[in-house]
Amino acid sequence: MSEAPKTSPEAIRPVPAVKPRHTVSAAGLLRRFGPLLGLLILCGALGAGSERFLTADNLLNVFRQSAVNAIVSLGQLVVIITAGIDLSVGSVLGLCCVVVALLMRAGVPPLVSVALALALGAALGAINGILLTKLHLPHPFIPTLGMMNVARGLALVISGGFPISELPSSFRFWGAGSIGWIPGPVVLVVVFCGVFHVFLSRTTVGRDIYAIGGNSQAARLSGVPVDARLILVYAISGFTAAAGAIVLAGRMNSGFPLAGVGGELDSIAAVVIGGASFLGGVGTVSGTLVGALIMGVLRNGLNLLNVSAAWQTVVIGIVIVAAVWVDIVRQHAAERVAVA
Amino acid sequence: MHYTLSLGSDEGRGLGIQAPAGGLPIRRSLTTCPAKSLGRPLFAIPWHGHTVEGTKELGRSNKWVNPDNHVDQFTPLLEVRDISKSFSGVSVLEAVTFDVRPGEVHALVGENGAGKSTLMNIVSGVIRQDAGEMYWQGRPVRLAGPRDARALGINVVHQELALVPHLSVAENIFLGRHPVARGIVQFREMRQRAAQALGELGGAIDVRRPVAELSLAERQLVEIARAVAFQGRLIIMDEPTAPLAGHEAEALFRSIRTLRARGVSVIYISHRLEEIFGIADRVTVLRDGRRVLSQPVAEVTQNQLVRAMIGEELKQRLEMHAPAAGGARTDEALRIQGVINLTVRSGEIVGLAGLAGAGRTELLEWLFGAGRSNTNQLFLGGRAVKLRTPKDAVRNGLALVPDDRKMKGLVLGASVLQNIALAGGRSLFFIRASQEQRSAEHWIGALRIKVAGLGQPAVYLSGGNQQKVVLAKWLFAGARVFLLDEPTRGIDVGAKAEIYDLIRALAGEGTAVIVASSEIEELLGLADRIVVMHRGRIAGELARAEATEEKIMHLATGGAL
Repeated sequence: MSEAPKTSPEAIRPVPAVKPRHTVSAAGLLRRFGPLLGLLILCGALGAGSERFLTADNLLNVFRQSAVNAIVSLGQLVVIITAGIDLSVGSVLGLCCVVVALLMRAGVPPLVSVALALALGAALGAINGILLTKLHLPHPFIPTLGMMNVARGLALVISGGFPISELPSSFRFWGAGSIGWIPGPVVLVVVFCGVFHVFLSRTTVGRDIYAIGGNSQAARLSGVPVDARLILVYAISGFTAAAGAIVLAGRMNSGFPLAGVGGELDSIAAVVIGGASFLGGVGTVSGTLVGALIMGVLRNGLNLLNVSAAWQTVVIGIVIVAAVWVDIVRQHAAERVAVA
Repeated sequence: MHYTLSLGSDEGRGLGIQAPAGGLPIRRSLTTCPAKSLGRPLFAIPWHGHTVEGTKELGRSNKWVNPDNHVDQFTPLLEVRDISKSFSGVSVLEAVTFDVRPGEVHALVGENGAGKSTLMNIVSGVIRQDAGEMYWQGRPVRLAGPRDARALGINVVHQELALVPHLSVAENIFLGRHPVARGIVQFREMRQRAAQALGELGGAIDVRRPVAELSLAERQLVEIARAVAFQGRLIIMDEPTAPLAGHEAEALFRSIRTLRARGVSVIYISHRLEEIFGIADRVTVLRDGRRVLSQPVAEVTQNQLVRAMIGEELKQRLEMHAPAAGGARTDEALRIQGVINLTVRSGEIVGLAGLAGAGRTELLEWLFGAGRSNTNQLFLGGRAVKLRTPKDAVRNGLALVPDDRKMKGLVLGASVLQNIALAGGRSLFFIRASQEQRSAEHWIGALRIKVAGLGQPAVYLSGGNQQKVVLAKWLFAGARVFLLDEPTRGIDVGAKAEIYDLIRALAGEGTAVIVASSEIEELLGLADRIVVMHRGRIAGELARAEATEEKIMHLATGGAL
């Protein structure tokens, strides 16, 4: 299909193609590595402020604490690339957290419980996608807002409002265990990032997802099955929320119904700090990972500096807005170069 | 040089000034003037190297010309001198001089990339020139932004209309300038004034209707009304007829004439040269950032304009009315049966004519699995198929080049490579990047698409190059039946010729092609057969040899052969 062209009509004689120049511009580099640069500067500043911040133990701790948000954000990223939004991830995480704990308490083997919880998350996400595409709800805000409430409510109903503690130790590996000195959740994040990066940048489905976000009508008229892709995208987001639930339940050694409250907003923040656009068509796995780490580093560092939780929230709010603003400024600069 | 004024001789309230042989025609609108000047020279002013002197003759009107005001009528409303502009070292405009007189319709033509948009962006204050001056009514002006231009009375009616769909017509006209009394919007007054502004332009639109319900032509009228409702002196129209059907364009021309008679000046940008002769007073041609021609329309021919725009060689290619290279073969590529009956053979180019709303786009989108299902049956290569989605269509080797390439054809923010690779290779799970790149480079070379690189976002390409990317997408995907909807809309002459060549070459290779177009000339030059649609049905079919513009229009308007 993408083989040597089948038709090469004479009148459109192939002339030597203008060799595309792969120029490396300052603006392009800044666009790619801007968030990373921000993260490094932030780490440097926090390291200067607290000698405990830049220790290996603490940095591993930061990774561990950021793992849940990083994994959930990857699903959110895929949704936001299609110009959508998933408000249900926090609640789906809470519900899956409770469900996996209840299943194991009922004697279901941990592996099966995990698989069922992941399937539940994907199914809830798929429902979001089906509501969006088949009921033609006007914006993903609506179905996912509905799901946010439904899932949280169900989590409270089936748990009776109480946490379910004392989970099997084999289950706790992904939340609290480690391979050598590397924490299990960190391994999981690396694997997820690798898979998502390949999925988004190297597969035809990944390209479809970017195309849908860029212009869904053009994508449809180029043969992209837009509805099917959107359902898949929301299912992925539900799946990563469930994966986040496994990690969180393992780390906390409990399935609690209020897990992941506000998680949707943290994941959205990580994605946009990482340079994705709400208008769709733009966003990278590396940026999102950096975004999640910036959030984690801020929380951790501010803790070490004895900043109160209330002020931490204020700082994070400002960082979100500032990061997106910097991104916009950068884009404008890039556009000025490209137009000329 | 002696000019004679004649009152009431021009359409509307205009005043004609008869030029002597070799003189430049001048138009102006009527102002009052004292009676004592009857029979005596009214004015004698130096103007563009001539001494212009005028008397007036008594016409039907009893109003007179004011000699004091009169000087103004010969001072251009807007004049730019030696304007230059370059972007990052690439010169886009080189010492362009250009002027618009009061009450003049001045056509500005040139290929895409010739500098028209840049010049208009400078005039409307969007960007600033590197060198050169701008004069408004003879006084030098500097525009710091679009706001300054609007304050002078310069308004732009954009190709992509800038209206708020959910607000009413009246609210759109008064957007940001609502008549207010003590903080309360005066809706009644607003509606009255909006209706009046539209009425003067010859439009009867209920000003309470939301803009979303209006046709494109009506929306355009609303934009024009907005431009002139507030002391608009100069309106820049960028390809206003591109989305319009013939009779709608006529209505637009009537509105433009009304404006002109009221003394409003219009800069009229269009790729359709025929209409320039009907509507414009003067025409200026830009090529590669330079002014190559600026003359009264009456003194140039269409051929001269085309030559000025593109040069000799390309023009000959445009006029080539040779039959399709390979000629139609006998095997059937596509057949529709039902309410619509149509067969297209391999290697055949079928033209689809009809007025706007005749159902051409609907037919093509239905063929492509993108429209509502209807009772027609579709056969591809003799085999009955049902295409439920565009995905099915692509899998069956169909290609659709939609009428609106920005909305439907391209992912504007994505790279050229991603756009070209969008439709093909979907059977694979992993992208074969190097193969894709090679193939995309091949088509970029073969179609002579001018890009800075495979990674350049499609949004930065010119219209012609964008359309070529859409075509490359389908060549890449290996499509065998091409459905082209207005393939050359809003594209400059040079790119048009190349797209015609490409369509002929495709047919020569045995590809079946359906071309829908509002430009009948285009169909006459391109198609082996022309099918005319009227109200969703096929009204008739004409072979290339027998097809004429009259016959096609006759069928398209519901007449029988």
